[in-house]
Amino acid sequence: MSHWIELNIGPVHPATHGIYRFRVKLNEETVEDVDITIGYLHRNAEKICELNYFVNNTIYFDRMDYIDAMNMELGYLRAVETLMDMEVPERAQWIRMIMAELSRIAARMVGIGALGLDVGMLTPFFHTFHEREKIQNIFVEASGGRQEVNYMSIGGVYQDFNDTIINEIKEFIAGFKGKLEEIVKMFTDSEIFWQRNVGTGVLEPDIALDYGVTGPMLRASGIPYDVRKDSPYLYYDKVNFDVPIAKSKDNMGRFLVKVEELRQSVRIIEQCLAKLPEGPYFNPKAKKSAMLLLKGQGDVFTRVESESGEFGVFIRGDGNVKPYRVHARSPSFKNLAVVPIMAKGSLIADLIITIASVDAVAGEVDR
Amino acid sequence: MYKILSEETDKSGMKVLNIDKSDLVELMEDYKNRRYYLSSITGVDMKDHIDVIYHIHNFDKNDYLCVKVSTSDEKVPSITKLWKAAIVDEREQYDLMGIVFEGHENLRRILLPDEWVGHPLRKDYDLNKVQYISMDRDGNEHVSFDDKEGW
Repeated sequence: MSHWIELNIGPVHPATHGIYRFRVKLNEETVEDVDITIGYLHRNAEKICELNYFVNNTIYFDRMDYIDAMNMELGYLRAVETLMDMEVPERAQWIRMIMAELSRIAARMVGIGALGLDVGMLTPFFHTFHEREKIQNIFVEASGGRQEVNYMSIGGVYQDFNDTIINEIKEFIAGFKGKLEEIVKMFTDSEIFWQRNVGTGVLEPDIALDYGVTGPMLRASGIPYDVRKDSPYLYYDKVNFDVPIAKSKDNMGRFLVKVEELRQSVRIIEQCLAKLPEGPYFNPKAKKSAMLLLKGQGDVFTRVESESGEFGVFIRGDGNVKPYRVHARSPSFKNLAVVPIMAKGSLIADLIITIASVDAVAGEVDR
Repeated sequence: MYKILSEETDKSGMKVLNIDKSDLVELMEDYKNRRYYLSSITGVDMKDHIDVIYHIHNFDKNDYLCVKVSTSDEKVPSITKLWKAAIVDEREQYDLMGIVFEGHENLRRILLPDEWVGHPLRKDYDLNKVQYISMDRDGNEHVSFDDKEGW
């Protein structure tokens, strides 16, 4: 004799990390089916982009994955620069790389901290946000913005690195290495954390590929795919880093992959700082007086690795100063769609952990 | 057997296959058997017709491929039978662009409320017409052109 319950989680609920609505069909405590409603943060950035000049659109991309704004900007600008055949000076490329990795660390700090909150561990959250705060101070120093930075521009960056910023980054990296191990130890020392994460939210690799899942979720399912490694952009082919994978396919695997990627990000930033050359930080073809006149024609589709996966941007230009069509392939949108498969047959409490480990950002899902 | 109308390279160096929409499912099935996976679906409103652009990806060879079909009656065969990733992608393109994917089992709006009028990414969509959303006690969303209704 089964007892069916339909349970509503969200749209505004701490476990959803944003605003989604999960309608869960429960058989006693076992999840039978999950229906996800999204769109509460939908602003149709793609339409807004069609109405603006190419250079104005970076701020709308900032607001997609708002905790990883640098990588979103980079994704858009890579497509625009390919469309316009715009060269980016060497120094600007290294600066972009440092900022993209710092942004990735900042985003992961939110993801890991929130996972801890859902398990019932309050302490790591404060430590991770303390580290994130330091990165945001660096962003303020460089761009003036804490979260929605609007730092990169077509053909370079808006402001050069000065000695203060470089020292701040060096100081942060020196402190972060030890701090990261301390934070990880907080998680892995906890028996409850292991019990809640091991064996829950299992995602088989063939299902992950079928659903278009990318990023740490795909790597935690055992497939070593990383855009930075497989089709390098910026200077990712000139630095050494490894792509971690997990064989366990569960929530613990995803956590460990994310942690290992943080260590790799630190490695990348250290190499970037050592290699940072002198020179111009923007392309004179895209100087401020000429920015609104930049035109593009043709189709492009380029990809970057954002914190949640493969972020692709499609742009079609019709030779005008405004794009004809902009489309963003957002990784969180695909990653979230696989949650019903992962949660089927698990306990309702494990569903919450699974949602947290997917680490979908509402702004990017809804765009 | 499917027929490729023309082959080109786009600005990012990606191979583009232009095909007729009646060949779409057959071509995609062939590429699926070669271990390609769906990455994204984009619709582009060209005023007299709609271009539907599929990006597929092979993880082993790290090869990206772009498949283009164009439709003048807003209808395109669905590829949800081949890849599950198409379920949300096709729903999104139906919602925002108004492309009807024939054979999709659950083709309803995904980002906008079900009652929304029009498809925003169409070039003839009127941006000045404001639609107001309200939610009833059961959590269902209702759309109205009158800002007082439902409140």
